Amino acid sequence: MEKPTKIKKDEAFQFIRRDFLKLLSFAGLSTLLPGRASAKDDWRNDKNIPKQYIQNRDLPDFHIRSANPFMGVDMGAWGLAIGGMVKNPVGLSYEDLFGLKMFSQVSRLKCVECWSAKAEWQGFQFSELVEMVQPDPAAKFVYIQSADSYYESFAIEELLRPRVLFVLRMNGKSLSKDHGYPLRLIAPYKYGYKNIKYITSIKFMDTRKRNYWANSGPYSVDGTIQPGIDHPLDYNKKPLPINGGEVFHFFDR
Amino acid sequence: MGPDRALPGENKSKPIKLTDIVKPFTLILLSCFLFSCDSHEVRQIAVDVPAGVQVPEEMVYIPAGEFIMGHKEEPRTRLGETVSSDAYLIDRYEVSREQYKKFQPQHTFSPKSALHPVTHISYSESLDYCKAYGKRLPTEIEWEKAARGTDGRKWPWRVFSDHPNNGFSGFTSEPVDKRKEWISPYGVYGMGHNVWEWIGEGYTYLGQPESERDQFKVIRGGLLQTHITIKFSPTYFRNWMAPESKLNFIGFRCAKDVV
Repeated sequence: MEKPTKIKKDEAFQFIRRDFLKLLSFAGLSTLLPGRASAKDDWRNDKNIPKQYIQNRDLPDFHIRSANPFMGVDMGAWGLAIGGMVKNPVGLSYEDLFGLKMFSQVSRLKCVECWSAKAEWQGFQFSELVEMVQPDPAAKFVYIQSADSYYESFAIEELLRPRVLFVLRMNGKSLSKDHGYPLRLIAPYKYGYKNIKYITSIKFMDTRKRNYWANSGPYSVDGTIQPGIDHPLDYNKKPLPINGGEVFHFFDR
Repeated sequence: MGPDRALPGENKSKPIKLTDIVKPFTLILLSCFLFSCDSHEVRQIAVDVPAGVQVPEEMVYIPAGEFIMGHKEEPRTRLGETVSSDAYLIDRYEVSREQYKKFQPQHTFSPKSALHPVTHISYSESLDYCKAYGKRLPTEIEWEKAARGTDGRKWPWRVFSDHPNNGFSGFTSEPVDKRKEWISPYGVYGMGHNVWEWIGEGYTYLGQPESERDQFKVIRGGLLQTHITIKFSPTYFRNWMAPESKLNFIGFRCAKDVV
């Protein structure tokens, strides 16, 4: 790696930090994940989850789901590593993400468990990351890992669709621990399980990896919402037909 | 029992032959075959194509005439009214990936899925394809008539059958010509299963609020899912979708006027 020669004083800190994170992403995306240390306990088959852990909770407005309960991300160690088949692998800090162009949208998260809940989400588009890292043309897929050992995979074009956001804020506030602080994905036309929380790394690949729920349950890697019935939490769980793809109801407006 | 009833003891002198048992059994089997009670054969409507009408190999001729449209318990349909159509031609199969590639060379797919219906196609892209071959998208009347024939049936193949579930959220398409046992009474494939199909009409219904108008196109005839089941969609079921949507469960087929 090239060493910077002349650095203006006020740029020095930022540059060095970025360099450090870049080094981190080179060193190995999956092994050196910051924040992973806090997920070393595996509570997947345990019923005695400590109360302070993020875990499944049926809250009236928006249920919480957690594949592997954990304490949440340690922000002292967190960074977003983007690499794989790219020209410029990068490591980004939480602050760096706020430098990206923000978009806001109201969309529903639709769970395979037959409920949906809406929120206002704020975040950046995947296209900005793509521009930054410049993937190899042979890279067609991304593999995303999260701090609780969850993982997801997408075709790159699926993440470039309109209304797909990498989200930092929900309903006007920073994401809560329960909803994926510091960074989560919102892809409204995919079932909730595709909307990965506590993201730590994004890896560009030429082959498609599987995802957590395709490996652990009867759910597809694709996870596009199919036509059927929705039971929106904010509509007294009244069954309503959905046409497939992004779920919205006219009373959402 | 009527007067033909045999008197008790009458057959004492007649030993039962094997053929007496086998004959009626064969008859039952034969009638099952003819009337499709085993659901492997859908009885077809006999259609006379008028002289001078050219029916392309990949299309089906649907004659002019009345049919039952919608269902009385489905308020956003035509409620089971009798509706009539002119004669028209409709594609026998959903447009396959292989066919679409001839029109759009950039289209890629794995060789294994060449005969699967093309998906991730927007409304306008499907329209462009049809126009390129001198066709258009079917109207709702045309699609529904081709799917259910004239007897008002719920399923193209008439008799209810359960869909072999392939797992929740795991939509998998099939080759467009795979299911002969699920063809319509006019011999059209894929009208109650496989992908949903773009229809060349906007989604409207009686009493539709202003805010919903002119936003969606109708899609017809794919699979419906709930949490852990997959069901066929009834022939009168109307689904709707934003025209720019490109999804893994939406494809199309084309239609054409008879000239």
